[in-house]
Amino acid sequence: MLVFATSDKGGTGRSVTSSNVAYRRALQGSDVCYLDFDFGSPTAGTIFNVDNAARGVTSGLGLHSYMQGRVSEPVAIDIWTESDRPSLRHRPPGAGRLVLFPGDAGGSEFSIDDEAVQRCVRLLRRVDEEFELCLLDLSAGRSYATDMVLAATAAPEMRSVTARWLVFHRWTRQHIIAANGLVHGRRGIIEVGQDRGHDPRELADSIRFVRTAVVDPNSDELAGLRSSQIAWLRDCNRDLQELASARKVGRTTMLGAIPLDPVLQWREQLISDNDVYARQIANRETVDAFELLAKRLTEDAVWVSL
Amino acid sequence: MLPATTVESFGLDEPDATDDEVARALRGLGDPVEIPQRLVRVLTEYMRRYTDDNGTPVFSGDSYFRSSERDREPTHAQTKLDVVDSFAVSVTLALATIGFVRVFRAQLRREDIRVEVDTLEKLASTRLTAAMVGLLRSFTVSVFDADSPLGRALVRTTNQSGLPARHVIDDLRRALRQVAAALREVTIGSGAAQVLDLENPHRLFECGWSWGIVKDAPRIDLDDPAEDARPQPDGVAEAAPYLYFTMVALDGIAALFSERTRILGLLTEEQQRLARALQLRWDLTQQYWATIASFGPGRWPLEDLPWRTTDEVENDHLSLLVSAVTVQDLESRRGSDAALDRVGQVLEELAARGRVTRRPVARDPAVTLHSPGVSFELVGSGGLGGPRLTWVASDFSPLLLKRMLQVARLVRDTDLRGRLLAQADLVWDHLVKRRLVEGAGRDLWDQPSGAFSEIDPSDDSPSWYYTERVVECLVAAANLLDTSPLRSGSLAGLASELLNEADHLFDRELLSGGGESGPALRHALQNARAALRRARQLLDERPGTAYVLASDVLRELDRLAAARQSVFEAD
Repeated sequence: MLVFATSDKGGTGRSVTSSNVAYRRALQGSDVCYLDFDFGSPTAGTIFNVDNAARGVTSGLGLHSYMQGRVSEPVAIDIWTESDRPSLRHRPPGAGRLVLFPGDAGGSEFSIDDEAVQRCVRLLRRVDEEFELCLLDLSAGRSYATDMVLAATAAPEMRSVTARWLVFHRWTRQHIIAANGLVHGRRGIIEVGQDRGHDPRELADSIRFVRTAVVDPNSDELAGLRSSQIAWLRDCNRDLQELASARKVGRTTMLGAIPLDPVLQWREQLISDNDVYARQIANRETVDAFELLAKRLTEDAVWVSL
Repeated sequence: MLPATTVESFGLDEPDATDDEVARALRGLGDPVEIPQRLVRVLTEYMRRYTDDNGTPVFSGDSYFRSSERDREPTHAQTKLDVVDSFAVSVTLALATIGFVRVFRAQLRREDIRVEVDTLEKLASTRLTAAMVGLLRSFTVSVFDADSPLGRALVRTTNQSGLPARHVIDDLRRALRQVAAALREVTIGSGAAQVLDLENPHRLFECGWSWGIVKDAPRIDLDDPAEDARPQPDGVAEAAPYLYFTMVALDGIAALFSERTRILGLLTEEQQRLARALQLRWDLTQQYWATIASFGPGRWPLEDLPWRTTDEVENDHLSLLVSAVTVQDLESRRGSDAALDRVGQVLEELAARGRVTRRPVARDPAVTLHSPGVSFELVGSGGLGGPRLTWVASDFSPLLLKRMLQVARLVRDTDLRGRLLAQADLVWDHLVKRRLVEGAGRDLWDQPSGAFSEIDPSDDSPSWYYTERVVECLVAAANLLDTSPLRSGSLAGLASELLNEADHLFDRELLSGGGESGPALRHALQNARAALRRARQLLDERPGTAYVLASDVLRELDRLAAARQSVFEAD
């Protein structure tokens, strides 16, 4: 299954959330790959702590080179063996594969042509066969990469491949409006997808939203705030809910909500069980949210709309 | 369905709009997306279950009917008799269902759920039509001679000032002239035949609902051929109003002409026609009972507890029912606070007499109001080869609470509302004691032994009848909280004068240059300014809040003044 991760605005935690979801899914036993399609800023290596791919690979074998036809196979990095972070270094018992397809160092956005789309189709078919879950991290906003994968997934030979979309947004007015615009607005995913040959309703049904850095106004952690602040927060939250529902970003189209976590606020990284239980720097709820999201990605019942 | 469609924050028909708190409380039913789908399924199952093989809705009293003879069980044919309670609750349920379905459908794109939803709406609409027909065929007018035992009983009840009977009869006929005249317009359904006798000056009457379809009630013709083809069973019920069923019917019918029903356009054309016919009966019945209850110049017949019916039955439950109808009438006529106060006092007294707000004495007869409840015979039900049936009403406490909340919502006097709400709190305490504490029905009702130690605990199974009545109370409480608090005139005057003083002192402080001083003083004055502005905004709606805001400002300003004073006086 292919899952495209996108967001309208930067700084939503799209990459770090989808990396963590890939990691959790691998721990749950699935073979997972993570493709860095954020061509303008190929830094997925940092999150997985692969130092020689921190800003893309220097070997010239990354996804940029593949898409532009310079190499016939993009390089794949096995995280369990090549990560520089000790706690990621051995594949835990029962876990599936976790593979990163990085971009090239110094690579940038490129315009696309039919050949690039064809190469994209080939890659997507290959990874879909090899892995149970393929997470493609697209860049923020409307990008060439988004256009390319919309064209690729509309190709007749991709009919049998399930493709789903996750749109990440923070729980604020601006982000809600932006997330709606990215999907339903002008030159948004649905409009572009329709131009590329997708059925707009089917496409809309395959898109879900993920709220990131969410603060629950009723949580115990806010005990330090004044009562008037909490009262205000609760009203804001209700207001946001109304806005989200009016903008089709409401509960019915939401796949998950990731709480605000101090670790993720300070550093984009995978949250290991070690971080939660031994070092206790990350919150359990955050990991629970990742695991739930990882599970729901492939739970068909959740993807059935009303 | 009642809270789901009348209390806004539930919003179960719009999964995106369901409140988080509601979603959390209902998570046993699924998440907000699953809940409406599950409700649709459960409701469809319910509607199917109470529809016979020919597609005709069933309104039988079944296990609610009791036998009046110890060792004779009701026959099968008897348990299948329709009952007004079922008609009335069906109207509420069907309307709530149709409204729910209408809103929910707007969110749907999936064909299979749409089909389910459409099926449910059709079933609910059929049930609604059938229930309305049933209600029209169980309405009745009972006309009797003023000299008959019925007439004498009515005169005795209404004659609270010891006037000659002749006099009272004339007054009664005059007071009820409008009702009697309008009753002649009753053309479809039952009750039309009796009205002809009303011309005679020696006759009195009662109107309302019998316990089931009235004997010899005529068929009602419907325009829709499919609906018209459904059988309309012959009635057996005595053509005399029962206070209990009258109150239940009035409550159910009210939903037919609510704002929500009109705005969402829930009724078909045919149903609107039936609703108009029912509304006429609703108005007249309410007016009739309210007139009787508050007849005469002195003490009201309602205040002469307990109420005595024309067939010489008397108990506090009947008083409560008459108060309920009176409250309804005061609501639709926007009655005065004085009248509401009198009904409120009756309710308070009933709460005490019914041992809801007072402890019972040993072997207190009032406890039977709650357990087993008040039973009354369903005249006409014995003709089917079995014993005569009885009906048991044990909903004294929730009915009391609901009416107290209703009166509290209607009154405009703050003291009166405060007193009624304090009483309502006591009734609620009583109801909480009667919750089931264990078993599958934990936290539901009803376990009377929780409040009355003399009663042996019954089994743990919940009573839907009772629980539904309590939920009605909670909905009434939610509606009450939705209104803005009452405004006290004297408090507003006081707040306004405080504000004037605070304003003046504040301006003087500004004039002396406090606004341009260092941060500490400047800050204090900015706060004061904000508080004064807010107090002005709130003065009309919440004078109490404006009052405390103004006094805070005064205190702050006085701190400055006091500090300054000691500059010169150095004490």
